[in-house]
Amino acid sequence: MGIHFREVSHEYASYQVGDYQAINKITLSIEDENEFICLVGHTGSGKSTLAQHMNALIFPTEGEVEINGKIITKKRDKKTNYNLLRKHVGLVFQFPEYQLFEETVEKDIMFGPLNFKISFEEAKAKAVEAIHLVGLNESYLKRNPFNLSGGEKKRVSIAGILAMDPDILVLDEPTSGLDPFGKRQLMELFKNIQKETKKTIVIITHDMDLVYEFANRVIVLNDGDLVYDGNEEDLFKKEELTKWALGLPETIKVLRRLKDQFHLDINPYQKTVDQAYEELKKVMTK
Amino acid sequence: MKNIVIGQFVPGSGFFYKLDPRTKIVSIVFLMVALFLLENITQLLIAFSVSVVLLIIGRLSIIRIIKGLKPIFILLIFTFLFQILFNQEGTLLVNQSMSLSYSSIASIVAITVLWRYLAHFKRFNFLLLLAWIAGIYLILSYFHYGPTFAPFSFKVYEKGVEMSIFVVIRLLIIITLSTVLTITTKPTDLTQGLEKLLRPMKVIGMNSEDFALIISISLRYIPTILDEANKIMLAQASRGADFSEGKLKDKVKQVISLLVPMFIIAFKRSEDLADAMESRNFIPGKPRTRIYELKFNFSDLMTSLFTAACFALSIVLKVI
Ligand SMILES: Nc1ncnc2c1ncn2[C@@H]1O[C@H](COP(=O)(O)OP(=O)(O)OP(=O)(O)O)[C@@H](O)[C@H]1O
Ligand SMILES: [Mg+2]
Repeated sequence: MGIHFREVSHEYASYQVGDYQAINKITLSIEDENEFICLVGHTGSGKSTLAQHMNALIFPTEGEVEINGKIITKKRDKKTNYNLLRKHVGLVFQFPEYQLFEETVEKDIMFGPLNFKISFEEAKAKAVEAIHLVGLNESYLKRNPFNLSGGEKKRVSIAGILAMDPDILVLDEPTSGLDPFGKRQLMELFKNIQKETKKTIVIITHDMDLVYEFANRVIVLNDGDLVYDGNEEDLFKKEELTKWALGLPETIKVLRRLKDQFHLDINPYQKTVDQAYEELKKVMTK
Repeated sequence: MKNIVIGQFVPGSGFFYKLDPRTKIVSIVFLMVALFLLENITQLLIAFSVSVVLLIIGRLSIIRIIKGLKPIFILLIFTFLFQILFNQEGTLLVNQSMSLSYSSIASIVAITVLWRYLAHFKRFNFLLLLAWIAGIYLILSYFHYGPTFAPFSFKVYEKGVEMSIFVVIRLLIIITLSTVLTITTKPTDLTQGLEKLLRPMKVIGMNSEDFALIISISLRYIPTILDEANKIMLAQASRGADFSEGKLKDKVKQVISLLVPMFIIAFKRSEDLADAMESRNFIPGKPRTRIYELKFNFSDLMTSLFTAACFALSIVLKVI
């Protein structure tokens, strides 16, 4: 079933600056298994707005979104249970401060599952499972969420959604504010979750290295328009990258430079440092 | 929430934007007093046309102001009905005997349902309301089959009609005037104006600068906090908090899930703000200078003269 956008636009009504069209006529489909999608675009390009349509938090002002067979349009339909859609598609917000509120991490993680009428014991078990998934240990469960560091808060907020066990997981900038090691660890974690559970994962990020290494589909927004939807290989060969305010991954940058400077016969499109190293070694030994 | 015009500054240019906020505040106070001195409907209608002319001079969109009136439409309608129903002076204009019957009760229910159903289509909402009121009037007066009971008579007096129009127009003018003030004056200017005007209050121990600072910070943060509340609501809805249904116990939990982040974010913000102010050398209680000093210029003079004239005229009219 998945998520299907059909010509979806969203206009924010704001009195002071006039109405602002955050996304324009977006058409796209996301299956509910086996996708690892990165959603990229410059600041203010409409990524968060698009993500909030994916679990019916906000409604399109034009067009329709189909989530798990339910059609979402401009009008609220009393018969549709929007809450169930949010169990199907879990959305983690950009800032953990907006959701942490309980006195212990455990209770906070259990808030989501309990809202979906899961028994207390089961929710507790889910919390333990989820805290391990995000790379923290059980000692965190008894801690106060407000005394955690920024990165730990982020992980707890992700655990809060993971515990709901959604089929599609949407994460709004999960790696911002983490150290380089933490970023990579978190991405590995998502990759693993995706491999093991076959869930679809959608990640919003500004980090092109991670996009290149992990994504198998990239969606690019530019000023509210969908300008690219395809695999990560082709994206970085595009001329328009700078126009969309996107950069290149470090590996491509370095290898291209080497190629131009020393007229090497190498393929600069290598995803990881190791692969780049191998490619260089091949040419050097020749 | 963002569509409420009252109390919101809208950037623009025009006569009223260039005025000193002190002039605007004082003029509005005097104009309102003058308005309450007016006694008959002709004077009030003149005042009304004058305020429309003012809008045109200030190049303010009348449609925008009317849109802003929407939230208080209900208030206007109630004031109107209240006056028309309960004021019983002057000559009798309408005397319609009415009563209830089974047929009329049934048809009232029917047209109410029809009205609510049609209201879903959003357009002509106001016309529908009028049609509904007219429908009830007709049904109560004429539509009876079978026994009738609880007879009463619906009376409208001349004075009632006059007063209801009078009160509604007065309310309209008041709202228009104050909307002009808030639409064309930045909250910071407004508080600066108030601060200067309230300066003499120092004699009785009120520090107008502190007062103005508190007000301007609060005003500055209202939209921010609303925005934040909205985001928190979305974040919790994303975790299955459904604010529309659920048992009382669940509800309490859901409200807490909103309030705790709200307070934490608000406290954090206020701490940050205090730090930011101190790091820019703000010392509470010490006198401060302004980047933009208020200036009294030619337009202010004109406005003051106009206000004085209106005020004088209304006193003269009152005395005569
Ligand atoms: N509640 C709102 N009211 C009015 N305008 C809004 C609102 N939320 C977002 N916008 C505007 O819509 C546009 C898109 O916002 P959005 O948050 O989707 O961007 P984004 O791509 O997520 O950016 P970032 O990378 O900074 O998170 C922005 O220009 C923003 O100013
Ligand atoms: Mg965003």
